[in-house]
Amino acid sequence: MASELTLSVNGVKQTVTVDPETPLLFVLRNDLKLTGPKMGCGMAQCGACAVLMNGKEIRTCITPVSGAVGQEITTLEGLPAVWAQQKGLSEAEAEKTLHPVQQAWIDEQVPQCGYCQSGMMIVAVQLLAKNPNPSVEEIKDAFTNAPPSPHLCRCGTYAAIIDAVQRAGKTMRGEAV
Amino acid sequence: MTAKAEQLHAPVLGTISRRGFVKTGGALFVSLALPLRFATRAAAAETPTSLDPTLPESWLEIHSDNSIIARTGRTETGVGITGYYPQTIAEELNVRPETITLIMGDTDRTPDGGYSAGFLSGMGNVRKVAAYTYQALLRLAAAQLAVPVSSLTVTDGVVTGGGKNITYGELVQGQHLELKIPIEGALPKPDPKGEVGMTSLDGLTVKGDPPMKAPKDFKVIGTSFPAGHIPDKVTGKAKWSCDVSLPGMLHARMIRPATMGSTLVSEGTLDKKQFPTAQVVRKGNLLAVVSPNEWEAVQAAQSVADSTKWSEWSGLPGSENLTKSIRAHKWVKASDSKGKAAETKAALQAANKKISATYEQGFTRHAPIGPFLAVADVKSDGTVTVWTHSAQSQGLRARIAYVLSIPTEKVVVRWMEHSGQYGRTTFGGDGAEADAAILSELTRKPVRVQWTLPDDLAWSSVSPAWVSDFSAALDSKGQIIALHSAQYSPHMEDPRPIGALLAGMPCAASKPGGWVATEWPYDKIVNRLEDVYGMPNLAGESAYGGFRGNIMRTPGQRQQNFALEAFINEAAATAGADPIEYRLAHTTDERLIALLRATAEAANWEKRPSPHSGAQRSGTTRVAGRGVCIMIRSNAYWVGIAEISVVPDTGALKVAKFTIGCEPGKVINPRQLDRCMKSGVAMGLSETLKEEVTFDKSKVTSTNWNRYKILTMAEIPEIKVVQLSRDDKGFGGGSEAANALVAPAVAAALFDATGVHARRLPLTPEYVTGLLKA
Repeated sequence: MASELTLSVNGVKQTVTVDPETPLLFVLRNDLKLTGPKMGCGMAQCGACAVLMNGKEIRTCITPVSGAVGQEITTLEGLPAVWAQQKGLSEAEAEKTLHPVQQAWIDEQVPQCGYCQSGMMIVAVQLLAKNPNPSVEEIKDAFTNAPPSPHLCRCGTYAAIIDAVQRAGKTMRGEAV
Repeated sequence: MTAKAEQLHAPVLGTISRRGFVKTGGALFVSLALPLRFATRAAAAETPTSLDPTLPESWLEIHSDNSIIARTGRTETGVGITGYYPQTIAEELNVRPETITLIMGDTDRTPDGGYSAGFLSGMGNVRKVAAYTYQALLRLAAAQLAVPVSSLTVTDGVVTGGGKNITYGELVQGQHLELKIPIEGALPKPDPKGEVGMTSLDGLTVKGDPPMKAPKDFKVIGTSFPAGHIPDKVTGKAKWSCDVSLPGMLHARMIRPATMGSTLVSEGTLDKKQFPTAQVVRKGNLLAVVSPNEWEAVQAAQSVADSTKWSEWSGLPGSENLTKSIRAHKWVKASDSKGKAAETKAALQAANKKISATYEQGFTRHAPIGPFLAVADVKSDGTVTVWTHSAQSQGLRARIAYVLSIPTEKVVVRWMEHSGQYGRTTFGGDGAEADAAILSELTRKPVRVQWTLPDDLAWSSVSPAWVSDFSAALDSKGQIIALHSAQYSPHMEDPRPIGALLAGMPCAASKPGGWVATEWPYDKIVNRLEDVYGMPNLAGESAYGGFRGNIMRTPGQRQQNFALEAFINEAAATAGADPIEYRLAHTTDERLIALLRATAEAANWEKRPSPHSGAQRSGTTRVAGRGVCIMIRSNAYWVGIAEISVVPDTGALKVAKFTIGCEPGKVINPRQLDRCMKSGVAMGLSETLKEEVTFDKSKVTSTNWNRYKILTMAEIPEIKVVQLSRDDKGFGGGSEAANALVAPAVAAALFDATGVHARRLPLTPEYVTGLLKA
């Protein structure tokens, strides 16, 4: 049975009328039109659907929307605002500034098909928040061994992702890239 | 960039005409000289089958604001076409690539058709179109500035002559000009007797030889211009095919048969109380649940599936019996052969020293991260629009029309981005589009079909298994004097859409066969015979065609080259020769020699034979090894060098470093090539170490990522890239082939570490331990 639920997504409170068991992914994509997170395996085995809940990665394909009520959800689309807030950027500056992770993904030309990359950038943001200067091994570990599954890229962009995470880390630490 | 107009001597082949004057704007349209169905813009507007007749159908438009629109039916498949197409056009036009907007893939908005994978032909087309246009612009400028064409120079779209400047935009200001250029070819048509059930999948080709820039004068080609598709994908602004949402659209989930050959006995019941807006839709054995709400569709489909009954069927050999079942086929004659049959057989018979080996490779599959999806809208007036990420829009258009038994002109295909597919859609088939079109026809609503991961991993087409027999005659020094290969595989060109097969609707079938995909690198092996045998699909006689074989990244050549290069490594070991020196001794091809030397140097290759003096086939300590392989494909040369370690008793194989070298003639975009080489190594490692489609007697069992394993980031080695670019050999294919350079190099490195030749892929720990214990 559909219920009225209020979600906080990318800093905006939004009300949806849906079955509380609906996967958060469907609500984000179909109701809120936030299409950055992608439908992958549907069973938390690939990471394409990842978003941040209170700064920690979750897989929205297996998370019921009811589990997101009262939590702060951040999707790919919300990453620039996270950075703007962190840096205290003015509205005008924020408008034209991407999150350093996104900028690094462009500068390093990471995406090939790009389908998994929203989830990959979510992991990168989470990793750099707690470890501003990760080694290659730490980056590999974060993208592979954190539950519930590795983040998979079929195009094989792993080497480019490692380059981009290191580039983003430099930017976020205020070092020249 | 600047080009001296004096350098351009060849006659201008295009004809330019003024279609009229306009009050604002103005443009030069480059369109087709031959009267096809959309030969002119005016005709396009009158064509009733054109769903959006206001849009021009042309290759290239120069607008009065100096913006340029380029159109191609070929699409971004993740290898950077949105970077190097603008580069190529910009180079010939002498403009900045940033001024070019690409429109790709839509059948009603692009003129040419063709394979998105057909890099060389596709780029050849846009390059010629730009070259013709440049000549036309020079003539316009010469007239405007009242100076001869030969006195003009062009920099970033500004023509200079007689001390005056004029921009391309100013040249077309207030006019409606049309340039006609010669083309040949046709758009795809269904052809049930043809190889893949279609003709003309290569689409239209631009004819003639307009003057083009010499590689030594390139300014944009050879730079790392960024690929245009990337920023919107990174910000979340990109609109993907999975984002299409139409008024009244239904979400569908498919209910696939219980086995690969089961037919529907009775469809399950739908509880309308629980799922009030859901509906079961059936045609033949095609069964689905649709609902305006995606979550309801998911749940209702599960519920209906639980009570649906299918007939029993068990016509598969089981993946453990794969080689045996391929061997058991009644092989008659090779589908394709290259080399000297009589001389090779005679040399092998007369040889004092002979070696032979058999190699096996299982089924693999494209395995996209995003299971396939499509949206179709079959309208009451008989027109159909399909939203897809197929890499063959025009081919798909013809195929969908064939499935629905309607004229091709009734179908429009709109292309959008989606998950990578690595060749699955190259022939315009095998996707969710037929499911969507059939369901839309039945429901009279737009339908969005989202396959699940198990749907995709069990029911999509596969890259077929291979069995390869090699034998060679060696002289007293171990040099190969004759080599014979016989390679056997099920069908590899069957892109029939599963939805149509299940529904029992027309599918343009394809002819089984095979081809010699290797490009022979060893010219000093004078007597060589390569035979390739093709058989029908495995279990092809079953209701839906069994394992529909399809091409996948570096098709055929990846598998054939694994066997060839593994065998060359075995021959080098038999000769007691260093594997690189051994290859150098069998070729005079200076491009190959130069790349082998450069890649070996980058990898700090130590000259010695394999196996390594410390090789061990048992024990719990890691032993290390290195191996090499080469390949030539589409005017590009490749070398792979793997450095691995393995624990013999556990079979745990780690690739520590991979050095990959490529010489594709002129490198167009070094960074995109770097990205494609590195990601190709990752996919190749995945294929080498992990991937195999498993099945029992009735169905595929590798239906999720825990059972169809692909490479993870932790398994990526340090990858070193060597690129050689040269101006004298044209362009070669750089984006595809890297995956094929991994397996033979890793297998050779395993031999170097253990002294045992691996002859089956994938090199799983179970296989490796079994091999070393044998």
